[in-house]
Amino acid sequence: CFYSALFYSFFKSLVGKDVVVELKNDLSICGTLHSVDQYLNIKLTDISVTDPEKYPHMLSVKNCFIRGSVVRYVQLPADEVDTQLLQDAARKEAMQQKQ
Amino acid sequence: MVVLKNIQPPTDGVKHEQAETTALMDGQRLGCGTLYVAETRLSWFDGSGLGFSLEYPSIGLHAISKDTSAFPQEHLYVMVNGKLSDENEAEMLESRDKADEDEEDGDDDEGSTNGGDDEDGPITEIRFVPNDKTSLESMFSAMCECQALHPDPEDDDSDNDFESEEYDVEEAVSDQGGANISSFYTCDEGLSALTSEGQATLERLEGMLAQSISQQYQMAGVRTEETKDQFEDGMEVDACTEAGQFEDADVDH
Repeated sequence: CFYSALFYSFFKSLVGKDVVVELKNDLSICGTLHSVDQYLNIKLTDISVTDPEKYPHMLSVKNCFIRGSVVRYVQLPADEVDTQLLQDAARKEAMQQKQ
Repeated sequence: MVVLKNIQPPTDGVKHEQAETTALMDGQRLGCGTLYVAETRLSWFDGSGLGFSLEYPSIGLHAISKDTSAFPQEHLYVMVNGKLSDENEAEMLESRDKADEDEEDGDDDEGSTNGGDDEDGPITEIRFVPNDKTSLESMFSAMCECQALHPDPEDDDSDNDFESEEYDVEEAVSDQGGANISSFYTCDEGLSALTSEGQATLERLEGMLAQSISQQYQMAGVRTEETKDQFEDGMEVDACTEAGQFEDADVDH
């Protein structure tokens, strides 16, 4: 996906912010974005599980590494994201890809 | 009841080996053995040579668990997509080929579903409890490194000929322009090495990245030089409010 570089940069700019990562298996994990790599693998710290009844075992985990391919959504704090910028960047990226 | 197969431990590419490690799968204790974190796969073997292995693409998440209120010992928690409880990973790989006929039989709780279902549905929780609790950090880090070696096939368009580096907030703050940052900026921004000029560029890029993602992409050298000159002329491109201004600038030059 040629947008992965864009989102890699985007997530780098969010390092240190609190996010909620929703996995494809419906597990949702809340934590602080510690780091991200080019495959959008995510490391979170100070995590808590937003659905403790479903996955009680996860409560005891402090830090975790999440494989990029199992992520469905990353929920971001609204005030940390400029959606207009992101749209522009995506548009630019699409134009670059066509060239 | 977990069926352990007689597989050989990996011999090369082993990033971390941890003996005296108890393995539990979905709460069931499998025994005490040795964990091998190899570049090809993650595997565990008990004393008698039986064990199981996991492919990294199937590992959705791994973590160090230190809160003893949920589990009495510190351990490495591994969440695997799909179910392994009735067969180990090797059998899972075989059964994936005949996943269709298994699903027709209604036998879809044996982990024999396709990749998509594995991600959306049931999971297997595995815990590796080493006797040496100080080794947990190394086990965790080794797994992180090996995970990065197994990106998904659809990521072929991106720069996966390059071993991924991570943008670590602590390292970025304390060591701007250091080796870690130069590594991943190499693949994204086209910089082959971070000279003092590169460091200045990096700092400028990081400042711009905080303000504007699209500006960063233009400054990366992909855009024309005319565009770059515009910025140096001090033209106020207020991307926050005037998105159209960017596009006009490109068209004009």
